[in-house]
Amino acid sequence: MRVLIVDDSSVMRKIVTRGLRQAGFSIDEILEAGDGVQALEVLKGAEVDLILSDWNMPNMDGLTFVKEYRKLGQTPIVMVTTEGGESKVQEAVACGANGHIKKPFTPETLKNTLGKFFT
Amino acid sequence: MEENNSASESSHVSPEEAAIKLIDGLQTAVIQVLTTMAMEDVKYTGREEVANLTLRQEVGGLIRLYGGASEGMVGLASSRTVVAEIVSRIVGLPPDSLDQEDLLDGIAELANMVCGSMKSKAQVGYQVSLSPPVAIIGRDYTARWKTLNPTWVLKFLIDGSEFEVYASF
Repeated sequence: MRVLIVDDSSVMRKIVTRGLRQAGFSIDEILEAGDGVQALEVLKGAEVDLILSDWNMPNMDGLTFVKEYRKLGQTPIVMVTTEGGESKVQEAVACGANGHIKKPFTPETLKNTLGKFFT
Repeated sequence: MEENNSASESSHVSPEEAAIKLIDGLQTAVIQVLTTMAMEDVKYTGREEVANLTLRQEVGGLIRLYGGASEGMVGLASSRTVVAEIVSRIVGLPPDSLDQEDLLDGIAELANMVCGSMKSKAQVGYQVSLSPPVAIIGRDYTARWKTLNPTWVLKFLIDGSEFEVYASF
């Protein structure tokens, strides 16, 4: 499995990476991008099996990234968001996101939410 | 980094009631975020009303709230040592391996998660938005938000060290 983590916070990218490892997922490679524009660049040159994306990022936010990427590919995208954003999550799902995880999260949460993408 | 509240919130409350809900939500959110993400031993030791929202500790994170009847600010503040320990735990790296950028990102992300969680728990009955976080590191600074709103400081102990959360609504 190759996973792309899209978040403007380097700390949050590390948190997600650590959470995925602690959840016990078998991951061959984790790629990172700091915003939607960078993520689209990464995806031009690499195939990934799962994308985890933040919502608010500079240059291109998570929703725009989902919309733009869906013109190019169908890799599952899971939004990683702060609590209280249900309406926006629904909007993201309508635009092609495949689910969401609320921060703060535990490795168990990641396991339960993302397990279906690792089978 | 933040999202709007869902439309399915409870009925409207007065600004005073909203402030109480937000403060209570903030207290719960700090403990939840720190225990969930950093597995820290967090104890709430009390709150007091203060004259203004002024951060003086070495590391600070600020987020502004706006929308509906709420206009406010939340500020996290602690020593570099405590913040480095928290960030170290949530990213799984030794504290001495973290650089300035990690600490800035870390306190910003903590502020973001705490305020998002607070907003969700408070359910004030109208949409509250959060600004992107502002992160500060340094020994000789004073960050002050001038407001007529009442301001509280919520005090926590993290493994015996002080961690303060300022709230002005």
